[in-house]
Amino acid sequence: MTVRFLPPNLVNQIAAGEVVERPASVVKELVENALDAGASHVDVTMNDGGRSRIVVADDGCGMDDRELALAVERHATSKLPDDDLTKIGFFGFRGEALPSIGAVARLTITSRTQDAPSAWYIRIEGGRREGPVPTPHPAGTRVEVRDLFYATPARLKFLKTARTELNHAVDTIERLAMANPTVAFTLMADGRTRLSLEVEDGDLFDARLARLGAIMGKDFVPNAVKVEADRGGMRLTGYAGVPTYNRGNALAQHMFVNGRPVRDRLLQGVVRRAYQDFLASNRYPYLALFLDVLPREVDVNVHPAKAEVRFRDAGQVRGLIIGALKHALAEAGHQASTTASDAALGAMTPGTLPPRPSQSLFDVARAGQAPLQETGLAEDQTTYDDAPTAVVFDPKTDNGADGDYPLGVARAQVHETYIVAQTEDGLVIVDQHAAHERLVYERMKAMLADTGVARQLLLLPEVVDLDEAAAQCLAARADELAELGLVLEAFGDGAVMIREVPALLGDTDVQGLVKDLADELADFGEALTLQDKMADVCGTMACHGSIRAGRRLGGPEMNALLREMEHTPHAGQCNHGRPTYVTLKLTDIEKLFGRR
Amino acid sequence: MKLVIERSALLKSLGHVQSVVERRTTIPILSNVRLDAANGSLSLNATDMDLEIVESTAAEVGQKGEITAPAHTLYDIVRKLPDGAQVELAFGGEGQLTLTSGRSRFQLACLPVDDFPALASGDFSHTFSLSATDLRSLIDRTRFAISTEETRYYLNGIYLHGTDSDGVDVLRTVATDGHRLARVELPLPDGAAGMPGTIVPRKAVSEVRKLIEEAEGDVMVSVSDAKIRFSIGDTVLTSKLIDGTFPDYERVIPTGNDKVMEMDCKTLSKAVDRVSAISSEKSRSIKLNMEKGLVTLSASSPENGSAVEEVEASYDAGQLEIGFNSRYLLDIMQQIEGDAARFTMADSASPTVIRDVSDGSAVYVLMPMRV
Repeated sequence: MTVRFLPPNLVNQIAAGEVVERPASVVKELVENALDAGASHVDVTMNDGGRSRIVVADDGCGMDDRELALAVERHATSKLPDDDLTKIGFFGFRGEALPSIGAVARLTITSRTQDAPSAWYIRIEGGRREGPVPTPHPAGTRVEVRDLFYATPARLKFLKTARTELNHAVDTIERLAMANPTVAFTLMADGRTRLSLEVEDGDLFDARLARLGAIMGKDFVPNAVKVEADRGGMRLTGYAGVPTYNRGNALAQHMFVNGRPVRDRLLQGVVRRAYQDFLASNRYPYLALFLDVLPREVDVNVHPAKAEVRFRDAGQVRGLIIGALKHALAEAGHQASTTASDAALGAMTPGTLPPRPSQSLFDVARAGQAPLQETGLAEDQTTYDDAPTAVVFDPKTDNGADGDYPLGVARAQVHETYIVAQTEDGLVIVDQHAAHERLVYERMKAMLADTGVARQLLLLPEVVDLDEAAAQCLAARADELAELGLVLEAFGDGAVMIREVPALLGDTDVQGLVKDLADELADFGEALTLQDKMADVCGTMACHGSIRAGRRLGGPEMNALLREMEHTPHAGQCNHGRPTYVTLKLTDIEKLFGRR
Repeated sequence: MKLVIERSALLKSLGHVQSVVERRTTIPILSNVRLDAANGSLSLNATDMDLEIVESTAAEVGQKGEITAPAHTLYDIVRKLPDGAQVELAFGGEGQLTLTSGRSRFQLACLPVDDFPALASGDFSHTFSLSATDLRSLIDRTRFAISTEETRYYLNGIYLHGTDSDGVDVLRTVATDGHRLARVELPLPDGAAGMPGTIVPRKAVSEVRKLIEEAEGDVMVSVSDAKIRFSIGDTVLTSKLIDGTFPDYERVIPTGNDKVMEMDCKTLSKAVDRVSAISSEKSRSIKLNMEKGLVTLSASSPENGSAVEEVEASYDAGQLEIGFNSRYLLDIMQQIEGDAARFTMADSASPTVIRDVSDGSAVYVLMPMRV
């Protein structure tokens, strides 16, 4: 056995193991190439989940015969013009994708530059090259990959069903499409159009929102708030869903760094932190965030498929995202999800009168002739009184009803639980308990922020045993935790000593709390439990300190509640992401009655 | 089994035993009280597997025997019978206990005595006797500091042990929740020397306290490594001990505190109560600012406003400001029976020691708050 260089073909197969994991990774590499080539239309075709055929055609800048021959060689790329890894301005730069794909599949590339007289064609099969030879083709590049993994049967065996592989590819294209709203994408799978995204016009924000709506569902558009923030050379833009528009998993959270879709645990942590007050811990918001940083501030050369990135200053990125999201949500404090009112409208049914006891024709005839009887009316009145009542009051006597209030003027309280208010162009139904609870909660939070968290010093400091990494992690964030009321210090290698706890928590399970915190810091890089616990205490106190359902409210009281809701940030939802009020537009009401 | 007993006697005994019985339990027989009739007395026995109570009371026993019946139901019935009524209890072996009084007649579902768990008695290594008053004082002045946090189970009780305090042998009770601590001691009774340190669970503490409320005379206390038994008149309460190590409390009681403040306990109590009314947060923090001869209490809340009250005190050391949880402070003030309380402090982040000026047997330690 002697040490020797491996044959180039084997080297490429090994590289393919990292870069080409499944059909979706081929799609990703090829679509990224198309985008790097400045394409405005990218058309993807897949057969049998990409196993038998993947075609990516674009109308980008194309390649001439010399470039084409080089493109399929290892470490040949046009995307690193300055030979400087700290200035990566394109998706690719490693020069590995095409030779890797060529090593495990039958690859053909046809390409023509804008001004060339003809296109060129090159073919790689199991690492052997044929061409380039001239061929007819419009300007742009068409890459066809057949029989993926035919050269590496082991990998072939690990492919999932065609449907699963296709879904992965759809996911990949969708993520790239979100970042490139000015490029049209289509995906044909086994002859059916699976995805068709038009070029979006308008400025970047409008185009993005339209594209996000096309991908994440049209409900996202009315429920999204714009996120925009700059800090220290970083720029964050994008859209975040309002808290009341949420879902049960984190799949609709997208982050793009310099246009590159990344899956980063950092994002999960910061999103939970930013939405902490508004969502139950098992609900997740929809959002798409685009972070632009100087190329030297981020290392994308961490992962062959570039799904992970590393920031030079992760703390600053975290701060920027949390700050921007919180700011955006505060602005949107009054935007309850439109899906809530849609759901309300959907639940409404045209009124049907309760069936009357059958009457003989004779009775009916007689009743028709009889004069209207006072007693009959009185009877009706009593049944009406038995029903849960609405307390109606005359707004004119209470205040100037004409004022321009977003939540309108209270007209009535129904079932002693809901306030019905009339606005300029519709009506608002407020859940009085949820709304008041939120107001009290916000007031308590403001107070806490104002005075700082009172800390109870421990007579018997608690030593919590953890593994070494967790203990270090906690100790490193000691300053931040101290602000939240938990004072700790490293105690030997694998333990921390707790000296002070938030007085709010009283006689609490310090061990459990600290262990949860350590887990969260490891998972998300965020200390959420502590705030969750305090929010719980505040929430319970807020619940006890607020008006309940079943309390009869007078007109001035209802109006005061509405006015305070208008002035309080985040009054649009309760702590669990449920809306505190819904708005019904007059047009919607008219629709209910078939007037439109 | 057949017996006749005076309603008030039965009620008193049932009242004692039924409070040991848990309201909800997964083992049906634990809801029952065991009734044992023999030799002119009725013995009642209840347990929750950790705590057992046995009480005997005089009764006219017609036919001896034993049975178990639902404790809370029985207690409820007897409580509602008219004063001075005679109660007849009879069990003929057909699965139901018959209770007759006047013209009332109840049939109660029973469970066989054989299933009734007995707390293995075992041997007690030390036995000593203590006056009910002394035991009351040991319990009352410490129990407020017992922790309710179940994860620190070793703090969920009172630590009762014998030790040496400045050359005098004493019997001590200590309780702490990690924020404050209370320590009370009495001269060591005969027979207690060398007893093992015992952590008496919260429930046992409260049951004993109820039993000695009315009791005069002495209480016999027996301890072993795993159990403690209190014999109070005709009642015997046996409890398992908390199996854990009580922290080394001596280390957290500071000895070097040099700033001494004395003030009238009632005045301080009332002032703290008044000033803390303003603080709306759950922790109800309050600040004490000490200057020569004067303590200024203050509290503020962004919502409610602020409060300040000045109280005269004897204080000679330098100016010091220290924050406390007002509820903790009031708890301690309530324990002090004398007129004046003495605070000894070091700084605003170290434990403060509080004592009754006229009684050195109790020491309270309170950890400040940072506000």
